[in-house]
Amino acid sequence: MPPAADPEAGQRLAGLLRPHLRSFAAVVLLQVIGAVAGLAPLLAVVELGRALLSPGPVDRGHVWFVVIGGAVGLFVRLLFTAAASGVGHLLDDRVQLSFRRRLAERLGRVPIGWFSRRRTGELAKVVGDDVRAVHPFIAHAPGELVAAFVVPLVSLVYLFTVDWRLTLITLIPVLLAVALVPLMMTPTRLREQEEFDAAMGRIASSVVEFVQGISVVKAFGGRDRAQRRFRTAVDGFVSSFFRMVRGLSGVAAGMQVALSPPFVLLVMLVGGATLITSGGMAPADLLPFLVLGLGLTAPVAALGHGFDDLQTARRAVGRIRDVLAVQALPEPARPAVPRGHRVELRDVRFGYDADHEVLRGIDLVLEPGTVTAIVGRSGSGKSTLVQLLPRFFDPTSGSVVLGGVDLREIGGQELYRTVSFVFQDVRLLRASVADNIALAVPHADLDDVVRAARLANIHDRILELPRGYDTVLGDEAALSGGEAQRISIARALLADAPVLVLDEATAFADPQTEQAVRQALTTLGGERTVLVIAHRLETVADADTVVVLEDGQIVERGRPADLLAQNGKFAAFWRTHSGGPQGGEPR
Amino acid sequence: MIRTLLRVLGHEYAQPVRRTVALMTTTAVAEGLSYALLVPVLRALFGGNPGDAWPWLIAFGAAVVVYAVLRYGSDLSGFRVGTTLLRGMYHRLGDHLARLPLGWYSAARVGEVSVLASNGVLQSMSVIAHLLAPFISACVTPLTVAVVMLVFNWQMGLAALAAAPVVVAIQVWTGRAMAAQDAERAERDHEATGRVIEYLQAQPVLRAGGRTGERFRLLDDSLTELQRASRRTVLSALPGVVALTFVVQAVFTVLLVLGASLALGGHIGAAEVLAILVLAARCADPLLSLSDIGGKLRGARSELVRLDAVLRTEPLPEAPNPVRPTSHDVEFDSVTFRHGDRTVIDGVSLSVPQGQRLAVVGPSGSGKSTLLQLLARFFDVDAGAVRVGGVDVRVVDSEVLMSQIAIVFQEVHLFDGTIEENVRLGRPDADDAEVRAAATAARLDEVVERLPGGWSANVGEGGALLSGGERQRVSIARALLKNAPIVLLDEVTSALDPLNEAAVHEGIERLMAGRTVVMVAHRLRTVQRADRIVFLDGGRIVEEGTHDDLLRRGGRYADFWNMSVASVVQ
Repeated sequence: MPPAADPEAGQRLAGLLRPHLRSFAAVVLLQVIGAVAGLAPLLAVVELGRALLSPGPVDRGHVWFVVIGGAVGLFVRLLFTAAASGVGHLLDDRVQLSFRRRLAERLGRVPIGWFSRRRTGELAKVVGDDVRAVHPFIAHAPGELVAAFVVPLVSLVYLFTVDWRLTLITLIPVLLAVALVPLMMTPTRLREQEEFDAAMGRIASSVVEFVQGISVVKAFGGRDRAQRRFRTAVDGFVSSFFRMVRGLSGVAAGMQVALSPPFVLLVMLVGGATLITSGGMAPADLLPFLVLGLGLTAPVAALGHGFDDLQTARRAVGRIRDVLAVQALPEPARPAVPRGHRVELRDVRFGYDADHEVLRGIDLVLEPGTVTAIVGRSGSGKSTLVQLLPRFFDPTSGSVVLGGVDLREIGGQELYRTVSFVFQDVRLLRASVADNIALAVPHADLDDVVRAARLANIHDRILELPRGYDTVLGDEAALSGGEAQRISIARALLADAPVLVLDEATAFADPQTEQAVRQALTTLGGERTVLVIAHRLETVADADTVVVLEDGQIVERGRPADLLAQNGKFAAFWRTHSGGPQGGEPR
Repeated sequence: MIRTLLRVLGHEYAQPVRRTVALMTTTAVAEGLSYALLVPVLRALFGGNPGDAWPWLIAFGAAVVVYAVLRYGSDLSGFRVGTTLLRGMYHRLGDHLARLPLGWYSAARVGEVSVLASNGVLQSMSVIAHLLAPFISACVTPLTVAVVMLVFNWQMGLAALAAAPVVVAIQVWTGRAMAAQDAERAERDHEATGRVIEYLQAQPVLRAGGRTGERFRLLDDSLTELQRASRRTVLSALPGVVALTFVVQAVFTVLLVLGASLALGGHIGAAEVLAILVLAARCADPLLSLSDIGGKLRGARSELVRLDAVLRTEPLPEAPNPVRPTSHDVEFDSVTFRHGDRTVIDGVSLSVPQGQRLAVVGPSGSGKSTLLQLLARFFDVDAGAVRVGGVDVRVVDSEVLMSQIAIVFQEVHLFDGTIEENVRLGRPDADDAEVRAAATAARLDEVVERLPGGWSANVGEGGALLSGGERQRVSIARALLKNAPIVLLDEVTSALDPLNEAAVHEGIERLMAGRTVVMVAHRLRTVQRADRIVFLDGGRIVEEGTHDDLLRRGGRYADFWNMSVASVVQ
């Protein structure tokens, strides 16, 4: 799914910075004052030189005045730059937090389908590293870059008043370096940078994949192969890194040499010596150039030095913006409240890709107080179909209607209060058992949690954990797959929502889980609307309606007994499975 | 820092690293020395005869050329070494991770190592490439300049040199003070990354609970904690930065005052004092940058320390004289295995003759899967022995052991690649026909048919684009292809779709035929037909016998069976 462009994303990013503008301004001001004050000691050297080199007796009072002025300037610089740096970094922390919150908030609203096409590692990198990479933009760029331009500007003006010819000569190294900058920005270089970035994403996933897959790899004695694969990925990454570095390093090193103090000094001294020997300049006028001239290279050096960081930051911001630009599942402006909990799917079509439809025109009504069982082979679209109910995706066309209202018109909170689900893919949070069960009902009291846990057949196991319901999963204890699934059943039981969507494959983890699922299905009878991906014949037999799904279409539907009588696909399915000792009879 | 780096990387990298450091040091010294020529140049220019400056300027020019060449060389060398180290580090990490016992890989570890391996490595290596040269230059050039000053005027030279120990002391002190903060921040960082990943993966559940964005307290707390830790780091770094700045500026002020008074007293020529002050001004900036560079180097070092910790984890020992088992029977001899302080397997003895089937049944957490894992030597036992063909698995070469065993896991991990590649993992040198045959036997051909792209369809990260049942079938096909004499099945049909369960059973039957089988299961028809069944609880065997025996006995197994079969058609 291509992320739908969101023109507001850029503004949103800027909007995130707006509340901090005052702090930014303070940082810049402090830094500029500090940096300009830093010129005082240098000017003191100049004035000292003039006093010492001037013919006639030295004005002692003037000398000491100059020295004291220099010292005061240094003190002011110390104070202000420290303050600027402190404020800047604290600001940076706050901005990073707000970026991360913003990203989390957005990621919490994008369609679930969007995740299945993305690597978790890469997304986590956006929230973690990419936000951190913005650091130079926030903490350094405003203060230090501004200072890096203001100070040379002030110096430049001063130097022009001293001697314009030598000023121009002093600028030669800067011009040389600037002339090299475009060489770093050629399409080839930029492409190499992009390749490098992509390679970096790949290496991160390779590492993750390698680490996560190592058990399989070792089990198949394919360790060497996986290692080779990883090494290949590494070598690919390293060579793209090397290509980028090689492309840049020549230019970068040339720039470094041009801006290096010895070279700048040499240029100034040669220029100065020429002017002095030709009698065009007083020897004392050389001094301001020696102390200030080196500072002229600062902006270019800052550019060159901070170039990598800023480029990284720019690319990071790009990725952050991409995530923020993903179209969230739109929340209705004026949410409607469903009346009742009859669920209707009206000509629902859905595809993860534009060219491959998974659901091809589903019409289905789930009546309150009934159980609808879906059967179908893997890949028939069952899982996708049930995921439309909790609105993991919106249908490509057609609509899912709950209590007479299109899901898209129902507020998220309301929807999730109405629809709960138990799917196979259980994720427990690193939080207490009680919190995990009460996920959908944050203020549930412990009695209710325990009741749900008992019903889900997991209470006894929880009591065996080191701290019972307060045990933090993942830190203090790990649960088996079946146990995790029972936790998720307890979640659904506690949520007590009028619409329940259940994947019965969950039951196959172990007998206790199976019992829990069965209990859930019977306990939750009454007026509930239940949709279950059925795997057990008993469930199918007890269902009010059976829907046979094939290749994204409903091929048969009806009461189980009627379908059996029709002797179609369902009947065939029934026959392959009722060979066992206790085949239930359909109603 | 360098020492840690070399320990982490191994000493074959010592040579290039040392050479680079030496080159960078030489460059910095050359820069400092070239400045010495400033004094005679200025003496001539400020004196009566400016023309005398030319020979000195030519000498300075030559010195600059030498410096430029050295500088260029050391920059390139820094990049090259950085890249080589990066590659070396990844390779070493990859090799090491592949040798670590599987018991080491908990979910938390996997996350941690992923972050470390992707960012940590990169960060620490890029520091070497980018910051080593500035760091060396910032330390060595001012020192050289101070020595140059000493030659021209001992008072001012001494004053400048006096700063050196103070600067070093401040750097060391800051480093110590920051180490704790940095560690805490890194910890918060890891914590937050973990939470982000959890948040992303648990989206469906979280949305069900209406807990997204800032409302998800766990994530938000860890993000806030991260910010707080980061703020503490900033605040505790500030004194060091201020102190360094203060010292550098104080020294400059002292030099200014000293220079002025010496010059006024006529003890030093104007050209000398001015040249020295120009040089002193020149040294201030690099010295001030030390605090910045120091911070980054510390960050890199803490990553290195973590990498070191991973690389020091001992893999399972390999036998010096491995023995090759000739038969395929399996034996547990009074095996005890502890995980942390929990005894997972507690004195289990059992044996499976070659070609027979053993089913392991029991409640969750009873140690069933661990039993299989011990057999495949994912861990080593704490007491007793696991034997294959009468040979202790610890004296079998690990690759040989693995070649004897095919495992079908409960959770199937697929690599981001095509279906064919994933099946072929079972036996990489299998020809296409064999791969297809195995896939057909596991009924994978139906899946392939359905997928756009067929055999070359991509399965996504961790096989995300396949359903659970489909992933399971890939795993069975792998095992079939591998054709190993011992088969371990861990809850194989747990995720299977009943519509194909019968078909997959065929595949499993084929997989088991004539082989020694240990299976963990509770629903399999094949449990009934196993030659023997053991019922495990709390890491101990509480019942064993055939299906019929155990049902007759009416004990734990019978209860268990009845519970699972009560309403299930098998």
